[in-house]
Amino acid sequence: MIVGAFAVAHTPQLLIRPGTEDRDLVLRVHAAMGRVKRRLQEMKPDAIAIVAGDHVEAFFLDAVPALAVYVGRECAGSFGPYRYRLDIHEPLARSVVEQGIERGFDLLYTQDAPLDYAFYVPLHFVMPEPGVPIVPLHVNVYLPPQPTPARCYAWGVALGEILRARPERVALIASGGMSHFPGTDRYASPEFDYDRALLETLREGRGREMGRLTGEELDKRGNIELRTWITLLGAIGDARADVYCYEPSWHHGNAVVEWPLDG
Amino acid sequence: MSDGAHYRFPPSEAYHLNECLYALKSDRAFAERFLADSRAATEAMGLTDGERADLRNMDRDALVARGAHPYLVFMAGLRLKMLAQPSEMEYF
Repeated sequence: MIVGAFAVAHTPQLLIRPGTEDRDLVLRVHAAMGRVKRRLQEMKPDAIAIVAGDHVEAFFLDAVPALAVYVGRECAGSFGPYRYRLDIHEPLARSVVEQGIERGFDLLYTQDAPLDYAFYVPLHFVMPEPGVPIVPLHVNVYLPPQPTPARCYAWGVALGEILRARPERVALIASGGMSHFPGTDRYASPEFDYDRALLETLREGRGREMGRLTGEELDKRGNIELRTWITLLGAIGDARADVYCYEPSWHHGNAVVEWPLDG
Repeated sequence: MSDGAHYRFPPSEAYHLNECLYALKSDRAFAERFLADSRAATEAMGLTDGERADLRNMDRDALVARGAHPYLVFMAGLRLKMLAQPSEMEYF
């Protein structure tokens, strides 16, 4: 069953803050992530299924999967001085990949790929105590051609059906977003108004409309990572979003959101 | 996806360039060798002299024009900065 649904920004400047980043803004995003952590502790999930887009870390140009599932016993990654080793909920992960393939999604699975910071930056701040095992779900966002938003939404619908049929209490997290353009000449001018309009759509419980966006629009608006949100929205349907924070920095629209599922 | 996209299909002629940026981003030992002596570190990577010069200067526009993935250029630059000036960062 699905007991919770969240979206959490993952920009690494939230973990390691260079002098270029406004400290108060970073702390406000941390506070919103702290709320997610408290909610997760109340929900007592058996596992966290986290949908994130690999930043060309696990998957380089030698093999570019559209959708992938980590199914090993554990997974590990590092960023600067940080080292992460996280348990995977193996029966759940295996069931997601087996049933996903049964449903027509040609998923890549891995028992060994490194874990990208898109997974562990949010978990660094929101993992309940004691920790729970995870199911890392990769969606390709950075290496074109990426899966279409419609495909991500359809995968999310299948993922939701699979998770709801399982006995475990599963919390879903979509990692990433909102508008940012790393490495391009748009880096200092994200589309904050676009983000705010999208958040309004989500507050109104119209999440399925995001499945009708085009890949071209996501790229144009600095929102290629919203494929992870769109996947989550496929899984949970039209719940209304509770926006914990939207904090635009000079280069990034940082959002933390919950979709309450209990009423 | 149109040619005007921010993130484009990575051209195969830039494979080694992207491979080097990937290593700068994800392989700390390599990044340290690069900081110490970029010329020596990039010697046997299948790169052209022009690519190596642009890497040395971390010239984003030139690298992207050569087919480098913009995100890889960005994160390689950030990781090099983190290595070179770790004390200027706040760790949470």
